[in-house]
Amino acid sequence: MAAREKPIPVTDALSQPFWDAAKQHRLVIQRCGECRYYNHPPRPVCERCSSQRLEFATVSGRGTIYTFTVMHQPSVAGFEDEVPYINIVVELDEQPLLFMVSNLPHAEKDKIRIGGRVEVRFEERGPELVLPQFRAV
Amino acid sequence: MWQGKGKTAIVGIGYSELVRQSQRPLGLLALDACRGAIADAGLSPQQIDGLATYPEAPFLGAGTRDGVDIVSVAWVINHLALAPDVRWYAQIETGMIAAPVIEGAHALMAGACDYVLIWRALHQPRSYGAFSGARAAGDAQFLAPWGCISVIQSHAMAWRRYMHQYGATREHLCTFVVNSRRNANLNPRAFFYTKPMTRDDYFAARLIAEPFCLFDCDVPIEGCVALVMTSTERARDLRHPPAYIAGHGLNTVSRPSLLYYTLDDYVACGQSLAGKLWSSASLGPDDMDAAELYDGFSPSTLYWLEAAGFCKRGEAYAFIQDGRIALEGELPVNTFGGSLSEGRLHGMGHIAEAVLQVTGRAERRQVPGAAAVCAIDGSPMLRGSGIVVTRDP
Repeated sequence: MAAREKPIPVTDALSQPFWDAAKQHRLVIQRCGECRYYNHPPRPVCERCSSQRLEFATVSGRGTIYTFTVMHQPSVAGFEDEVPYINIVVELDEQPLLFMVSNLPHAEKDKIRIGGRVEVRFEERGPELVLPQFRAV
Repeated sequence: MWQGKGKTAIVGIGYSELVRQSQRPLGLLALDACRGAIADAGLSPQQIDGLATYPEAPFLGAGTRDGVDIVSVAWVINHLALAPDVRWYAQIETGMIAAPVIEGAHALMAGACDYVLIWRALHQPRSYGAFSGARAAGDAQFLAPWGCISVIQSHAMAWRRYMHQYGATREHLCTFVVNSRRNANLNPRAFFYTKPMTRDDYFAARLIAEPFCLFDCDVPIEGCVALVMTSTERARDLRHPPAYIAGHGLNTVSRPSLLYYTLDDYVACGQSLAGKLWSSASLGPDDMDAAELYDGFSPSTLYWLEAAGFCKRGEAYAFIQDGRIALEGELPVNTFGGSLSEGRLHGMGHIAEAVLQVTGRAERRQVPGAAAVCAIDGSPMLRGSGIVVTRDP
């Protein structure tokens, strides 16, 4: 049986700017035009002040490892050949608890620690899909 | 104090078989449990005029076929010869299985019905927990392409954070898992009834999502547990001593909609529930003779111990050591083996055991003189519900 492909994001009106920017190797996060709060995933109204005035802002792409796991049993089809694979939760520098998830290469397993610094890179996963991925710095 | 304290009671418990994969459809397992609970109460199905359940199948890509994937109120009405005119029902969408018990108590107090039947049925398709779609829509688009979307990952990462913050280790968690297994070895219904577990067994188990191994995860089983509730007045005439509903709590904390929920979210949500639980029952953690605390993954129970005030924040991993939570300890916890060792019944096993304990029906697991026991469901993140049951009204 052919290996399953990893899932492809289904973009929507809210998320389109995020994915379009990723194609240009830029990391953008939805930000409230009223209270300046970052919302991720993008929301129809601001999670903090309920404003509808939302825009996208380019962020530094830097953050710290908030927590992590090593997956020995894939939880998503398409990752069967990658176990054990690493998932990290990145807390972006822009705001406390502003999280993204990422993978790390397995070779970096012994270097992962909570609080470790990471920086965004971009993975070309296909002609139409570029995925922000963080790497240790 | 809740004005309903001691005014309603659980009067019957019924179980279907609890197995990894059943040859029988879920709907029939539910009927087994429902008939069992009604008979245990000494009633007939025709006397049941109220129904409540929490039917959700709690996994990614779950089906909704009635009688196969879930068992709804409508399914039970169609397949069980109940009172000719069922007077009241509730089908709860959030809050886990104690929520229908709470609604049942309210309905009985309001005189909406006389006898309430409550059940929780769960089946387990082979693909449990895996995201199998080729396309990830909604919030999943920010998770699944990285292979990071199942509940085990968020729980494993919350526990990693706990270890980091408080200095807990897998050795500490192992104590909890082995204690649960020891209790399950006294529970003939438990999936692991005949299988003892040593600390070495725990450390030999394969890793699933570090730092979790296989035995940190509850056992996916198929089955159903049902119970019957009625007013305290009616309860006195039935077959077994009643377990009185002394108090209840729901989690009503709203957290910002984050991509990932933190350890702080878990405990804050649990505290919201526990505060209401204790104030409504006019009892506190020190009054509990045992605690049945949800354990979808092993650390969930530790978060509940902290959120409900059995110990302080960051101390549960130490609190559970040295036999304190054993059957003969200061606070017996998950006396039936919990979801980790009896099987995943999504909190209904915890409620049933609390009832058996305060009514002196827990057989070899009986905590001597148990007069008040709490059963709390949920992770405790975002949703959860709990009750205190007592021997005396």
